[in-house]
Amino acid sequence: MIISEDKPIAEILESIENHSSIFIVGCNTCAAKLHVGGEQEILSMKSVLENSGKKVVGWALPTAACSIRSWDHLAEKDRSINKADALLVMACGSGASVISKLGTIDVFPSNNTVSLGGSYKGEVLPDQCKMCGNCTLFYFGGICPYSQCPKKLLNGPCGGCSDDGACETDNDKECVWELIYKKLDEKNSLYLLERIFEPKVNK
Amino acid sequence: MIYMQGSFVDKIRSRNFVITAEITPPKGSNPFNAIEDAALIRNLVDAINITDNNRGVMRMSPISLGKVLQQQGYEPIIQMTCRDRNRLALQSDLLGAAALGLKNFCIMTGDHVSCGDHLGAKSVYDLDSVQLISMIRKMESGFDFSGNKLEDPPEFILGAVSNINPLKKGQMLKLRKKATFGLDFIQTQAVYDTEMFKNFCKLIGDLETPIIAGIIPLKSARMARFMNANIPGIHIDGEIIDRLDMSKDPIQEGLDISCEIIKDISDICQGIHLMPVGQHLNTQKLLKQAGF
Repeated sequence: MIISEDKPIAEILESIENHSSIFIVGCNTCAAKLHVGGEQEILSMKSVLENSGKKVVGWALPTAACSIRSWDHLAEKDRSINKADALLVMACGSGASVISKLGTIDVFPSNNTVSLGGSYKGEVLPDQCKMCGNCTLFYFGGICPYSQCPKKLLNGPCGGCSDDGACETDNDKECVWELIYKKLDEKNSLYLLERIFEPKVNK
Repeated sequence: MIYMQGSFVDKIRSRNFVITAEITPPKGSNPFNAIEDAALIRNLVDAINITDNNRGVMRMSPISLGKVLQQQGYEPIIQMTCRDRNRLALQSDLLGAAALGLKNFCIMTGDHVSCGDHLGAKSVYDLDSVQLISMIRKMESGFDFSGNKLEDPPEFILGAVSNINPLKKGQMLKLRKKATFGLDFIQTQAVYDTEMFKNFCKLIGDLETPIIAGIIPLKSARMARFMNANIPGIHIDGEIIDRLDMSKDPIQEGLDISCEIIKDISDICQGIHLMPVGQHLNTQKLLKQAGF
């Protein structure tokens, strides 16, 4: 799941200030699950835009904004898209990028994309993967330090962890290396920590 | 005992006791204040250890200040963190430092950007401290990170840093990883709990690497409480805080406490590293009081 969140409405309005006929595109996959791009949020955005003097000519909720066949395919959902002079995409950056390929119409993102995460037992889990292209998750008990440690440390914790286990960058966040140690201890696999990891090959 | 310039490398290699002191570069282009600070400890310490944008606060390059202090007759140890440079920039700076005759390095991860004065800057950490030490040893063997041959490979004296709490098992394990590439010294976070420090020394004794104990003289009970609450790896006992609280001269009391710590641990470690908050105004007094 790609984690995205709402941009401030003032920023959205500023970005579309030279456009008057807006068509809203949501995303019924990640953004809908996160309540930043589903039907309810689209209708709420429509109302906000209309109250700000914009004309919302229509909206569509494709299954996934990042997987669209063509303009016509999107237009099948609501023909009024052809009257729009701008699209507002309530999806992640991938969704907004793919929508931007459909034509020459101006496409504006309404979301900020923050991480590749997930959801477990109803809780949104950010930063589950950094897409490094060389997955070593197993060696860390299923907790990726490259994505969850602010310093991306692969060979053990820094010295900045507090005595009670908080991360140097955020007192409310437990050091990911404390979590990794506990998990590997539970799995009786602490030996995995002795492995020395080479630097990642950056893309 | 008089400590002469140029003595750090010889002493660390011959396993003699060393005294080092920390200096923070200026936030500006004039090195005068750092030179003045160093003058307060001339002939008292074996080397001056220069911080690298510590706490993520942007300051003059430690390599540049290191050269300035070297020209003034001091032996510098350059701190190098992983926070600000990728593998190209790190190697480039290491070769440049070697060309300037700066060969003592103390390697650390580096405080995160979010601790400092440039919030929003990119935190690089292309390498971690284990990987940086490994890369430097590879450079010494005549090859850069990518395996290309280096002309005139550099030679370095390499130190690493560590907290002293043996219960921080992940940190202890990481120190062992660093040591697999060969460390010339291990410099510790400030010691206040000497029993903890002794346990730490026992725990890593098999590495047979010189341990240099960090010393930060306390100036007040308030400072002690602040450090306990805010500086990772610091453990200041209530008894020490009470002494500072009750003292009519807390600065002298802080020096007395540091002196007692130094005397208690100097037989089991191979040096001390003095990191006073502010200038080295009391370093001479402390060293004299500690019998150096």
